Amino acid sequence: MNLFLALVVAVLFGSGATLLLKPDLFRVVVGLMLVANAASLTMIASGLSRGQAPILPLTGGETASDPLTQAMTLTALIIGFATAALLLAMAYRVYTTHRSVDLDALSRSERSAEQELERGPAVEREETRAS
Amino acid sequence: MSLLVAPLMVLWPAAAVAALGDGRRRPVGWAAAGVLGVAVALLGALAVRVAADGPVEVVAGGWPADVGIRLRADALGVTLALVSVAVVLAALVHGVASRQSQRLFPALMLACAVGLTGLFLTGDVFSFYVFFELAMMSAYALTALGRERRMVGSALIFAVVNLLGSVLFLIATAGLYRATGTLEMLAIADRARAVDPNTAVVIAVLYFVAFGVKLGLFPFHFWLPSVYGSAPPAVAAVLAGALANIGAYGLLRFEAGLLGRELALGAGVLVGLGSASIIYGAVQAVGRRDGREVLAYSAIGHAGYVLVALGVGGRVALSAAALFTVVNALGKTLLFLAVDLRGPMVATAFVVGAFSVAGVPPSAGFFGKAALFDAGIQAQSTATVVLLFVGGALTFVYLFQLVIYQHQFWRPHPEVRPAPASARAVVAVVAVVVLAVGLWPEPLLALSDQAGQALVGMAP
Repeated sequence: MNLFLALVVAVLFGSGATLLLKPDLFRVVVGLMLVANAASLTMIASGLSRGQAPILPLTGGETASDPLTQAMTLTALIIGFATAALLLAMAYRVYTTHRSVDLDALSRSERSAEQELERGPAVEREETRAS
Repeated sequence: MSLLVAPLMVLWPAAAVAALGDGRRRPVGWAAAGVLGVAVALLGALAVRVAADGPVEVVAGGWPADVGIRLRADALGVTLALVSVAVVLAALVHGVASRQSQRLFPALMLACAVGLTGLFLTGDVFSFYVFFELAMMSAYALTALGRERRMVGSALIFAVVNLLGSVLFLIATAGLYRATGTLEMLAIADRARAVDPNTAVVIAVLYFVAFGVKLGLFPFHFWLPSVYGSAPPAVAAVLAGALANIGAYGLLRFEAGLLGRELALGAGVLVGLGSASIIYGAVQAVGRRDGREVLAYSAIGHAGYVLVALGVGGRVALSAAALFTVVNALGKTLLFLAVDLRGPMVATAFVVGAFSVAGVPPSAGFFGKAALFDAGIQAQSTATVVLLFVGGALTFVYLFQLVIYQHQFWRPHPEVRPAPASARAVVAVVAVVVLAVGLWPEPLLALSDQAGQALVGMAP
């Protein structure tokens, strides 16, 4: 069971990481969601134990399963939902301002902005000299 | 209500209410600043109590001690919480005063303060993660608030890279729980000795990468310059002065406090990466002209000092790392807030900040640098002392270059009006604080010494 879960986590994390390296913004967001879910699965797999439901009062003799990993995973999943929503909103923002979700295009426009920044002071100096 | 819970209980309802208000209207912004002021006062009172009587603890919800989540304020946590929330307050006032406040700006700043307060004052690894995500999420949203093209793109990269760091943190926490069977920091420190060394090293490396990304250390720094360079000054100040503390705190708490044995194993690597960070940041900063970019690379360099101190290890070095983190946060905040403003008072404040970051007495930064040198000398490590000297010299060079560039910018300009008086006043107040800490450093020195002692005591 452990090996199986470890393989699933590895495949999830691997596909997430591959998507993260793609130049398309939405693929990056989906990749990050996959990686986050791989972490949640790791968490639940790390505390996997058989037993009765951990609700008080426990019937004697039988061990209860660990409730803490489940609580943690739930919290992590909720945080994951929130991050997914935020990332998608940010990706949409990028799309509305740049009219593109291609990361190569984004870095091109960043580079041109930087070049402008470097030209900036020189132009200002010329102006002050002229006045 | 305990003094430990009070700052959180004041801040988070305020954050929820502020989200309903329109942050572009100044009364909303000033009300948020008032709440943050109350929180800073409460944290100050808590710091006084911790300094006098030692750590304060509360188990949330009235649960028995091993079941409920434990909130715990020790010297390191409370000092960083106080400084970080104070930095958020200064940035909020600056943003509202210079009319850069957006609709959600005050609410996000408050949420960020909730996260920061919580993560520095918790004694539980998982609630650390929750508060840490709260602080980081508000930071992602804050950097994305602007409508400039460059800002939006860099905010997304910032979010993606740091979320990846958070995922690694989560995986490490799952491993730590699996290996020790508890989430409480004190109990983990106790049980970490019995953990299989191979497992412990993997966990320690995962934590290191997670916090290294936050702090912007050398191999994980690539996101930092474009975010610091394009965010509005108030947000950049929060990133450099408050959120960078999370990285330093995490390294100190998780690596030095919980996994001390594994930290000692990797001491050489830490010193190496720290040195690379210091030299890379300083050299890049010397070659830049734009004020914000110089400061961003300077932040990468200064993250390296914390790492070197961590690698040197021992009580003196750890308290030096804590002290340096605090004074560096104050200095960086001042510089980021002042860098875009004009006016004579601002110029004086900027020079005070530059002195502090360069480590010139009587500013606060002097004590941070002095403590680091002291740690290097006590560890009898010539290489560390030489490195600190070279790093310090390069810091001098780029900060004085920066002051010269800024000098042109400060010259009175007929068409450009100076910044609003209230924005300039904030900068002046932060400068006075930096000077005051430099002139009366005893409380901070005592707290950082306690912090170092506690970290060594916690380590196996």
